[in-house]
Amino acid sequence: MKLEFTPEQEALRAELRAYFSDLMTPELQAECERDMGEGGGPLWHAALRKMGKDGWIGVGWPKELGGRGMSPIEQFIFVEEIMRVGYPFPFLTTESVGPQLAEHGNEWQQREIVPKILAGECLIAIGYSEPGAGTDLAALKTRAERDGDEWVINGQKMWTSLAHFCDYVWLATRTDPDAKKHKGISMFLVPTSDPGFSLTPVLTLGGVRTNATYYDNIRVSDRNRVGELNGGWKLITSQLNRERLSLVNYGPTAVFFNTALEWARSTELADGRKVIEQPWVQANLARIRAGVEALKLFCYKQAWAMTEGELDMAMASAAKVYGSEFFIEVYRLMGEVAGQASLVSKHSERGQVLAGRIERLYRSASIITFGGGTNEIQRDIISAAGLWMPRAAR
Amino acid sequence: MDFGISEEQKEVQTLARQILSEQVTPEKLAAYDEYRAERLDHDLWQKLATAGLLGVAIGEEHGGMGFGFTELVLFIEECGRTIAPVPVVPHLVSAALPLQTFGSDSQRRTWLPGTVDGSGLLTAGLTEPLHEEPADPQYTRAESSGEGYRISGVKTAVPFAAQAQRILLAARSPQGVVVALVDPNAKGVTCHPLKVTTYEPQYEVVLDAVEVGAEDILAGPEQGEAVMTWITERTTAALCAHQLGAADQVLRLTASYTAERKQFGVPVATFQAVGHRAADRFIDVECLRLTTYQAASRLDSGVDARVEVDIAKIWAGDCGHRVSYSAQHLHGGMGIDRDYPLWRYCLWLRHNEMTLGASARRLSDLGQRIAAGEAFCA
Repeated sequence: MKLEFTPEQEALRAELRAYFSDLMTPELQAECERDMGEGGGPLWHAALRKMGKDGWIGVGWPKELGGRGMSPIEQFIFVEEIMRVGYPFPFLTTESVGPQLAEHGNEWQQREIVPKILAGECLIAIGYSEPGAGTDLAALKTRAERDGDEWVINGQKMWTSLAHFCDYVWLATRTDPDAKKHKGISMFLVPTSDPGFSLTPVLTLGGVRTNATYYDNIRVSDRNRVGELNGGWKLITSQLNRERLSLVNYGPTAVFFNTALEWARSTELADGRKVIEQPWVQANLARIRAGVEALKLFCYKQAWAMTEGELDMAMASAAKVYGSEFFIEVYRLMGEVAGQASLVSKHSERGQVLAGRIERLYRSASIITFGGGTNEIQRDIISAAGLWMPRAAR
Repeated sequence: MDFGISEEQKEVQTLARQILSEQVTPEKLAAYDEYRAERLDHDLWQKLATAGLLGVAIGEEHGGMGFGFTELVLFIEECGRTIAPVPVVPHLVSAALPLQTFGSDSQRRTWLPGTVDGSGLLTAGLTEPLHEEPADPQYTRAESSGEGYRISGVKTAVPFAAQAQRILLAARSPQGVVVALVDPNAKGVTCHPLKVTTYEPQYEVVLDAVEVGAEDILAGPEQGEAVMTWITERTTAALCAHQLGAADQVLRLTASYTAERKQFGVPVATFQAVGHRAADRFIDVECLRLTTYQAASRLDSGVDARVEVDIAKIWAGDCGHRVSYSAQHLHGGMGIDRDYPLWRYCLWLRHNEMTLGASARRLSDLGQRIAAGEAFCA
């Protein structure tokens, strides 16, 4: 039980920090900010391909699949460092869908799609929720019907983020309408280049754009099906466990804390004291600091658990609940420190602090308490899988 | 980043869990309620000694297992899991460890074998009234007297002061803080018993010109403050471990109870409000576990752990408070029924919360470190 990074892990982190510092040019930074922290622009794509070419995307992946053969801990260090520099890394593709393809994919998927993911040349959006199926995901209606060697897909998905620049949608479909709802679902990789695929943008409070996506008689080969026929629910839950861990990566919060602390130590009040000299400010920052430390350890323990074999479902859900609600608290505590200036956005001619980041963060913080699996369901999972408390029938 | 436990650590844990779960029962604990008997199970202390557990972090040359702080912390966690009536933190952490690390050969020979075989009892008086800075004594003063010191002052909340052979405590001399081992039976020492919420034997120790010879001075004015800081950090981490064991047990008790208790024809655990509150406590306990183990790991490695120890204690206070009250609430009437074992745990969670810096104090301490630029995220 040694809760410190090894010298090799520290060296890797230092190497990555220098690499990303070079990679993140002012032009790339500007493009990422313009795209509201979602990526998708030409410089963003080029940077991703460079990371792929330099072998970084698969740092924790087995060498047989094109990775560097390190462990999930090193993989987590990589994702943490890239998120710290503010590059909107497509972690859904690389950290959650990708591993499903590596484990359950057929030969075509493992030979064609996985290497392209590791090369930074293939992006995948998640197609789960529908207008009538969010929390009750198993109630989904998007249909895949067999027709010879092919499948015909019809339906509609909601909140298909990044679909406007992704190559595929990891699509949950109903393949057996007569089976119990969890047992008639299959996963497909649906190409967004298909003429039957369309989308309409959805603009959110945080300024981030997501999409409603439509699937109109899309034909795919059976090789696009991932995993067992009607065995999709297991893939969905495995993907979600990993996604939940990525959603609460603490790297950006650590950077935010450090930046805000530098600001508080160097900024003067009217009476000549620095902002940080106020005891209540110290207490607010201490709350953030104590919470970030717990989140860091939560994430790394689960990365370690993946190295040992299994990502525990209750722990993945616990990390997600804790992190998603903690982030809101962080932005509030920091907002209190900056006071009224925390309301001034980055677009204002003057008057903002910390480049208007608090305004944006506090405005957009509410997504992941329901996104990635609403926290009520996560708490149900924790009490059942973590504490063996019986569940109510639904 | 290795969160696994070694074979030796597993053995310490298993051995401790076995002895403690057999020996500590609600019936035995009931005997100490309301101070009807002194909360110290000598028989259990001997069994732990025979099993080698009291010497887990004491060197083999003194008869101990020769393991480190992490293994000791794991043992203390098990003591918390049973709220065992034995003075593991004051003796093994606050007194024996610093004796081993900073004591002279003679002091080690005098006190460590008795620690290992269970024949000795040591404690520490770390705090003064409304002054919880062990490395900065204000009320307790020392002046040179021959080769030793003459000490006057007061320490409060001292566990087992009257029962111990020596009380480790800090006093301020004109040259700096000194650390002394005071005999409670020495002339000028008065141990006033306190009654505290958990029935732990605690004392306010008043010192009136107590003569302490050189052989009972653990650290002189050049090192006293550093030694007290060293002791405080390790005692804090140990309290967090004790809190972790107790909180985890309370969480499990709550999950079991609500899974059995039926109302409206169903287990109350199936009501979402109940399940969700328990889930929130699951998160709290894991955060306490993570931050406690990190503090212990860093102290064991000898790297700077000031920030990490403060963070663990903040979690110990917050988690302990929330688990204590959530558990009682979710147990309904059983939570306050003295014939059901839960309530003693709930009081211990509050006891540890308030000991050696509750969350607000530790947040303030951490805030000052942050202001001084000592607590940036890595």
